[in-house]
Amino acid sequence: MDQPLQCKLSSLCLISQHKLEKILSLCGDKADLIIDSSLIKPLERICGVTWLRQHGIEKIYKMDPQLGQTANTNKIYFISACKHKYKCVLDQISSQLSQNPSLADSKCFNIIIVPKVLHTYDSILESKGLYGVVKLHSFSWELMSLDDRLLSLELPFLFKQLYVEQNHSLLSSVSMSLWSLFQVTGQPKCIISLGKLSSSVLNVLEIYNETYTRDYVSKHTDEIDTLLLIDRNQDYASCLLIPATYSGLLNEIFNITCGHLDLNVKETKYKKGRINFTTVSEENNKKVTMTLDSSIDNLYGEIKHRHFSEVLSVLSSKAKLLKNEDIKALGIQEIKHFVSTKLQQVALFKQNLVNHVLASETIISEMNNKFENVTYTESEMLNNRNKKSNFNFVDENFGTDIQIYNSLRLMCLLSLTQGLTYDEYNNLINKYLLAFGYKFLYVFQNLINAGLLFQPVSLKLTLNISNLSGLSDRLPKWQNSFQNQAAKLKQLPSQVDKSKTSPSYVFNGSYVPLIASISNILLTSESLTEALTKLSNSLELKLSGSLLENMKLGIETLNEKLSNLKLNSELDYRCLDVKSLLKKFKTDSKLSSEFNFKTKSVLVYVIGGVTYPEIAACDVVQNATGSKIYVASDCVASGSDYISACF
Amino acid sequence: MDDDDYWNTSETKAKAFSFDDDVLSPQEILAIGQKPYSGSGEEGILNSSISNIKPALVPISSLVSSKVLDLLVLAQSGKDLKETKSEPEETVAITLKRLVLGRSCSLHVHRSLKSKTELLDGAVAIGDGNAILTVVLFLIQTLNKKLVYELLSSWPLALSHYIGNLQSEGKISELTDLLTMLGRSPDSAIYQFQHSIKNQGDNVDGLLRKTNNLLANHFNQPGVDAHQAKMIADYVKLLEWQSFAKKNELNNKSALECLAYCCKLHWSEGAGNMMSPLTVCQRQQISPLQYEWVVLNVQANLNKWDIVESLFTKKDWLGRTTLSSHIPVESLLARLSELRAGARLLATAVNTVTNTEERLRLAHKYKIHSVVIETLAKQKDRAALTNYKMTLNPQSEEYIYAENTLREPRTCIASQMLNL
Repeated sequence: MDQPLQCKLSSLCLISQHKLEKILSLCGDKADLIIDSSLIKPLERICGVTWLRQHGIEKIYKMDPQLGQTANTNKIYFISACKHKYKCVLDQISSQLSQNPSLADSKCFNIIIVPKVLHTYDSILESKGLYGVVKLHSFSWELMSLDDRLLSLELPFLFKQLYVEQNHSLLSSVSMSLWSLFQVTGQPKCIISLGKLSSSVLNVLEIYNETYTRDYVSKHTDEIDTLLLIDRNQDYASCLLIPATYSGLLNEIFNITCGHLDLNVKETKYKKGRINFTTVSEENNKKVTMTLDSSIDNLYGEIKHRHFSEVLSVLSSKAKLLKNEDIKALGIQEIKHFVSTKLQQVALFKQNLVNHVLASETIISEMNNKFENVTYTESEMLNNRNKKSNFNFVDENFGTDIQIYNSLRLMCLLSLTQGLTYDEYNNLINKYLLAFGYKFLYVFQNLINAGLLFQPVSLKLTLNISNLSGLSDRLPKWQNSFQNQAAKLKQLPSQVDKSKTSPSYVFNGSYVPLIASISNILLTSESLTEALTKLSNSLELKLSGSLLENMKLGIETLNEKLSNLKLNSELDYRCLDVKSLLKKFKTDSKLSSEFNFKTKSVLVYVIGGVTYPEIAACDVVQNATGSKIYVASDCVASGSDYISACF
Repeated sequence: MDDDDYWNTSETKAKAFSFDDDVLSPQEILAIGQKPYSGSGEEGILNSSISNIKPALVPISSLVSSKVLDLLVLAQSGKDLKETKSEPEETVAITLKRLVLGRSCSLHVHRSLKSKTELLDGAVAIGDGNAILTVVLFLIQTLNKKLVYELLSSWPLALSHYIGNLQSEGKISELTDLLTMLGRSPDSAIYQFQHSIKNQGDNVDGLLRKTNNLLANHFNQPGVDAHQAKMIADYVKLLEWQSFAKKNELNNKSALECLAYCCKLHWSEGAGNMMSPLTVCQRQQISPLQYEWVVLNVQANLNKWDIVESLFTKKDWLGRTTLSSHIPVESLLARLSELRAGARLLATAVNTVTNTEERLRLAHKYKIHSVVIETLAKQKDRAALTNYKMTLNPQSEEYIYAENTLREPRTCIASQMLNL
């Protein structure tokens, strides 16, 4: 049990494998696995084809609405919790039943749903007359360790559901991932949550704890003493800004799923986002995949968090080293030794080197002309300077080299940091719709719902009383509210600081991601009390964790909590808001002494995806404070992923 | 007076059922008298008045066993065995917990409005969407719509889950009813629009019919944003044009994509013609900036640089070529160079920059050698020009030009004067 934490985290996939094994054992032998293609990469991290064969899977098919007959009667569909996909599977099963009604009694249809079966799925099953014919299984795989201190649940559709559609049906999966993680690592002393979803996740986490682990003595751990749970919408700027780090830029240009990069230099994300003026379609070239994991590719580990301007020189120095090694005169014995031990390594290293150079070249050719101007304008927006010329920059971008997702990023950033007038807002929308089609009018409503865009009010608009309540949420609270908030947490460096000592280098020296800023306060304060005092000045935090259990604070049963619930108040099940906790300290010295410890390691869990520059920024804080920061989320996303979730 | 009337008379009812009555009934008086012998007053009432008069009965246990007796009670209640056991435990909290944990559970034990409301309150407070939606759908099943809508209007989170569910189930008319009832018709208009977009595919006539209908019935409602309504009207105009053009590749394409198509295949057609680029521009009110950008890209990709030049340049009365464009010069240069425009066009473009330093920077960036050489010569910066020459490919045209310029400072000035 005393393995290093990173080892344990990498082994979480064994628990996932065990969970899957239990499900497959219920599905019978000689089955066809029909898998949704988006789940292939994550499944590969859990088990291989051989393993599946050993566990009763004979043939594997990709899920396709037009899929015809498959080899075996026993069928296991493997899909994510998406109602559309689910119904598609049910339709397919129905059509098979209509051809062969006797299948209904053979219990041969199984659907495995990641991460869980929702209650409505049962009613849909019933309404389609398939109850008892089809069996549903929840598969909640564990967090996947993608890289050193980087965990991901690999549910990339979660942001769209949680923030754009405000559908919180899968929120409990986040709780479950934390709950099972803590079975492995032990309970953190202190859990800090920021945002509504985070506090709901804590409520459900407590229900899991109360139901399943009440009788166990909960283990404590020093390896992760603090969990910071945070809603994505607490820091949208970190999603919208163009990153300056290598890994961040990779994710801007290439598709990365589950830690695998698809090195397609012809059809980059940037090119696909433009209006296509040429009809020549690029032929499919050979597929090259890079695994973004520093334990497999040391070179990646060395450059992933670097400012992009340094990357090429690192790569060329590596190439020179390699050259020198080749020239070295070797004796026969040495050659033998080299071939048997090192050759493969060197060949692999060379391949990685070539791929990184290729990727860097593509980044340069795609970003070359724009990078400087865009980052300059972004920095002006962040600091609320020259609004007029910032708008002109965005306006020109919409009028000329407009991109389906990235142009909206600029618009959202301007709206977030400096606001847009009614006319500016509509001017941009008009240009956008001309370029990509009026059909995308609804996208703006979705951006507003997600909180990525703020709709200005027309002075001419006749105010509808019933609309007023919704209106106040949509307006930025006051002028400069973004800058005021960011200044309190020192997220806006006074001068542009590109040195790697400030986490702001990840955005070219102009912005420190919120999670890095909070982690920094937690890890540099003398005590948790001091950190909480600093943080609660500007943030509405809640606190829970084993510390509270020791103090018998906030311990009420769910029943009592619910019966005392006031309309529209929050549940705060076994957690306290930090401000009132700090007040209690003044009168209760014993209580405050419990909070006198110094935080040494933090797990940051962002609900709704985390970005590479944020991870890089946490790395800087970690190194500066000599501590450990682990980053977890439901996926690793890029800015354009957040915008595309609104389509 | 028959039996029914007897029980329904309020007078007798009050007497029969009230235990707090000040006036004691004969039975009660008797009961008080026997209190020392019996455990509770109520039992006393029954024992006292009846047992003395009626003949002795056999004990109930000799009639039926206690198990059978329970069964008789159960049978009259119409409940099954398990239900009677679990029912008292089925509190709101327990139901919610089961929902959150994903266990099977029936909500139908919660029949009173109070416990239904508590279920919703609790589900929202916990914040698990799976539980919230299940409760909302249960309320929809068991309460009348008006009551549910009232509850939902005080719970935005529950409402958004229900809206999402109606959307994904394609129950658009129900969604419209709900939002109209809540006074949110503008939202309903955009939801309907999104629904028809996602369901019609690229079928232009279907889209045209749907969108026209939405425009007439929903986007003209009070409270709908005027600009939004205009965008829908513009969409109708474009669909009408596409319906006229009858080209599959144009179906549901954007205005700029249609413009690009017309630039490619109908460039020379005049303003009156439906397929003329100018017609598309006017119908959809495409700004000069976007128009120029499309023409530049389309024609350059077709290698028709003469069209590009005639779009951006004109000769003034001295016969000099000048450039005028709505595209800011730096973006224009960047794009021209990406499209591999000729050196002459690039030079014309960069020469519109009046600030010398800026011009030099851009000329350097896009390797417009003639302009770098001329500008350096004009600045009489021999050293810089010599350095620049070294970066050029010997024997190239620009190398020779640089050399000539360096050798003959006078001609250099002369050539500048000619350029003026």
